[in-house]
Amino acid sequence: MAKIPTGSLTTHVQRLAAGAAGGTVPDGEPPVVVLVHGLLTDSLASYYFTLGPALSAAGMDTVMYDLRGHGRTDRPPTGYRLENFVEDLSLLLDGLGERRPVHLVGNSFGGTVAAGFAAWHPERTATVTMIESEPPVAAWAGHMAEGLAHARRDLVHDHAIEWIKERYGAHTARLSRGAARILRTTTLAEDVPAGRLIDDDLSALRCPLFAVFGGDSGLSAQVPDLEAKVAGCRTVVLPDQGHSVLVEQPARTRDLVLDWVREHHARRAGTPAGAVG
Amino acid sequence: MTTEATTPTTPVADESTVLARIATLLRELPDAGLEDAEIGRDTLFHDDLELESIDLVSLSGLLREEYGERVNLALFVADLELDEIIELTVGRLADFVVASLRATEES
Repeated sequence: MAKIPTGSLTTHVQRLAAGAAGGTVPDGEPPVVVLVHGLLTDSLASYYFTLGPALSAAGMDTVMYDLRGHGRTDRPPTGYRLENFVEDLSLLLDGLGERRPVHLVGNSFGGTVAAGFAAWHPERTATVTMIESEPPVAAWAGHMAEGLAHARRDLVHDHAIEWIKERYGAHTARLSRGAARILRTTTLAEDVPAGRLIDDDLSALRCPLFAVFGGDSGLSAQVPDLEAKVAGCRTVVLPDQGHSVLVEQPARTRDLVLDWVREHHARRAGTPAGAVG
Repeated sequence: MTTEATTPTTPVADESTVLARIATLLRELPDAGLEDAEIGRDTLFHDDLELESIDLVSLSGLLREEYGERVNLALFVADLELDEIIELTVGRLADFVVASLRATEES
């Protein structure tokens, strides 16, 4: 288990080098892909057994890590604003000695972290893929404030966990208990909606942006806005699919991410100038 | 005397040895609370040990340290369906480790 210091914290990171999980590695410097997981019930494990090995086998250096407060990374009592998460990622890349601009893939809140990183560290970002995410704009902060206040109010009660167990099973109940622990022992619920934002015009997002949504999730309503505001933004909406795109459609997600990174890596590696555009 | 244990002919890919070693690794897993757990072939990772997926990541790292890169739990799990992961037993994992070790011994 690799743990490396990132400022005052110790971060749990798992790397899969290009080809470490089999497959063939193309010539030249491989792209590096950083996978960012979601809030409360999530950890790098969501990628470790799905997307991670597939990216490595496709010849990509793959980095997975646990966000602060999650998985096996430290859980400080305070400091859960978006800029803290973004700074952690920057320190993590420093600690890994990573100099290449990275392809970021974020699930749910992880996509918001990825977009924040792209806005505030554009020189270190190659592309951003958001899976069922919102960029860190004022509307996002509003949604998070509401959702987190709700979760904190409901999950502290044992009968709520019992209800979740009856309705969704023991596994989901266990995840909910873990989420309740984070909410009870940290200021995450207040901090996340109170952090630094980007302007509504999304002008801060200058790298290629790929957004994947489930058609049944309310978040897919962002598609026209993203396409209008971010030049060259690509969107995919998976029909009959809710918020859990990564978990419920791992093969489809893998193919979308692989194609996206391959295409943009080839472009960065040097396509003839006349071919661009 | 001490060189004997490191000779390549040592039968490491013995099923009961591997099972016992996995049980020890599980009991020593940080933050998993399995110090006193009873662990056998039929023990379920999910329902009996109540392991979180992040614990499986830790176990994967420990298996690699123990047996080398040839035992790749991430690849094994990536090939399973969700219901197979939920029904994963310690015995099935031990079989996978033994098969991985034998495959490399023979090659």
